[in-house]
Amino acid sequence: MSVQDTIRQTVTSNPVVLYMKGTPQFPMCGFSAGAVQILKNCGVSFAAVNVLEDPEVRQGIKEFANWPTIPQLYVKGEFVGGSDIMKELFASGELQKMLEGIEG
Amino acid sequence: MTPEFVQQLITDRLAATHVHVNGDGHHFYARIVSPRFEGLGLLARHRLVKDALKDVIDSGELHALSLEKTATPAEWAAQ
Repeated sequence: MSVQDTIRQTVTSNPVVLYMKGTPQFPMCGFSAGAVQILKNCGVSFAAVNVLEDPEVRQGIKEFANWPTIPQLYVKGEFVGGSDIMKELFASGELQKMLEGIEG
Repeated sequence: MTPEFVQQLITDRLAATHVHVNGDGHHFYARIVSPRFEGLGLLARHRLVKDALKDVIDSGELHALSLEKTATPAEWAAQ
């Protein structure tokens, strides 16, 4: 299975996925830490993928969404955005709406 | 790169009517108002800005740019 297939499988088999640097317990970058905090504030459980553990995934996720930076949030298989977009969607309440109905 | 230079780049390349950029030379924070955002979702707006600045981002001259606000003139006026 190619790395793109692996990513596709991950984002479609988990309702909420965060690709990040480090883990939710130990984020290794301020932007990833901010993204985790936002999801926690939404009260939703999510799958986290630590891109620092796999250089192929770290590069592959940038190509998957055609988005150059990490963190990246996926909801129901769709790329939502990076940390700026998460911040803005959370501030406007849209992110909470997007995550409604997903098991916390 | 200075915040003023980033501000000028964004203004020119996105026909922005209002741009505010803060930054320390490494990390910049921008608020942008442009008619080109009309009809676009948040993700598409961010892509538009990053595409417009792709050369300076790829070259490493512009290392990190956070977009705090991307609004159309109408949305900006309504605030």
